[in-house]
Amino acid sequence: MSTPTHWRQHGEGGGRFALWLIRTLALHGGRRFGRLLLYPVTLYFFLRRGAERRASRQYLARVFGHPPGVWPMLRQFHAYAATTLDRIFLLAHGERGFRVEIEGLAELERRIGEGRGVLLVGSHQGSFEALRALSARRPDVPLRVVLDKGKTPAMTELLEALAPDVGAAVIDAAQGGAHVVLAAAEACSRSAMVALLADRAGEHEAQRAVAFLGTPAPLPVGPWLLANALQVPVLLCFGLYLGGNRYRLVFEPFAERVTIPRNKRGPALDALLTRYAQRLEHYVRVAPYNWFNFHDFWQQAAAERATPPSHRCGAD
Amino acid sequence: MAELTAAQHELATLIVESLNLEAVDPAKIDPDAPLFGGELGLDSIDALEIALAVSKRYGFQLRSDHPDNQHIFASLRNLSAHIEQHRVDA
Repeated sequence: MSTPTHWRQHGEGGGRFALWLIRTLALHGGRRFGRLLLYPVTLYFFLRRGAERRASRQYLARVFGHPPGVWPMLRQFHAYAATTLDRIFLLAHGERGFRVEIEGLAELERRIGEGRGVLLVGSHQGSFEALRALSARRPDVPLRVVLDKGKTPAMTELLEALAPDVGAAVIDAAQGGAHVVLAAAEACSRSAMVALLADRAGEHEAQRAVAFLGTPAPLPVGPWLLANALQVPVLLCFGLYLGGNRYRLVFEPFAERVTIPRNKRGPALDALLTRYAQRLEHYVRVAPYNWFNFHDFWQQAAAERATPPSHRCGAD
Repeated sequence: MAELTAAQHELATLIVESLNLEAVDPAKIDPDAPLFGGELGLDSIDALEIALAVSKRYGFQLRSDHPDNQHIFASLRNLSAHIEQHRVDA
């Protein structure tokens, strides 16, 4: 029996004290020590978090085509804990101590070179923080990340304490769409990179359902409307965690510009979302344990009620 | 529904034209209705196109770091009042 969960209703894992503890232990004890702690931490969250466990089971069953045992679920939880720990090191010390391979860098640099700004669209797969590594290699190109600061206050506090410049470069989605689009356009006019994750909707954000791992899943339309407003090159970006200290940062050209005619918004959005979902699916196959959406991603409970998510979309 | 002032009507026309809202009669926009997510079919992301059109017509920038942005973009009435306060073309 699964209860419907929107990711926003989930408490932030651990809270302030836990994050402070992990940060203190990690930065003083080092990454090797921190990683030892991951085993009990993973087990603790696995045992305590029923909704996340159900989401993991649901996801892995769709990936493998049969209900997963406990081991794959633990692997997914552990990968999430490991990348969360690594965020601390990536923020505090950059890519020192990590091996970050970058794929598609030439494609990205060519578009940065055009000077119109670039929109990087990611997902909750692996670690978006690995993108910081690139940022450190190209300090001349500012990176602004769209985040809802209100959703994860403890993590935001930690981030701002560890890397104040990174915190200052956040575009706060909690301030509304008008703020986000104006800030993103101002950044692009300075040839910056603007990055966001496009697989979770904000509270009142319109969504449309497209096929993902064989079943329609609601995805937010906002990122694509933003791309349409900005008219800058769009690349997909994934920071896959390969285990140990290895990450693979992938940049994949998606569109030179995204155009969504106002009178054909529905079909145009569906086409974009379908392509995006297909790429998510591709990386699910490449790195199945990198999937860090621990909520009812397909909104099955909602779908079983009369109104499918696409019907509450004002974007037709 | 309130009658539009001349300034509100001018802004409504600008919005309808710059966003190609073919089916909308500017004179019939309710000045107090929500600009985004309401009957106009606008998303808050459309603020960029409105901001660009406003800067061309009225000669000043609507900026992302304005603390009252949520209020300013809430309705035609608010946006128009903000523009009348800041326009530099007159």
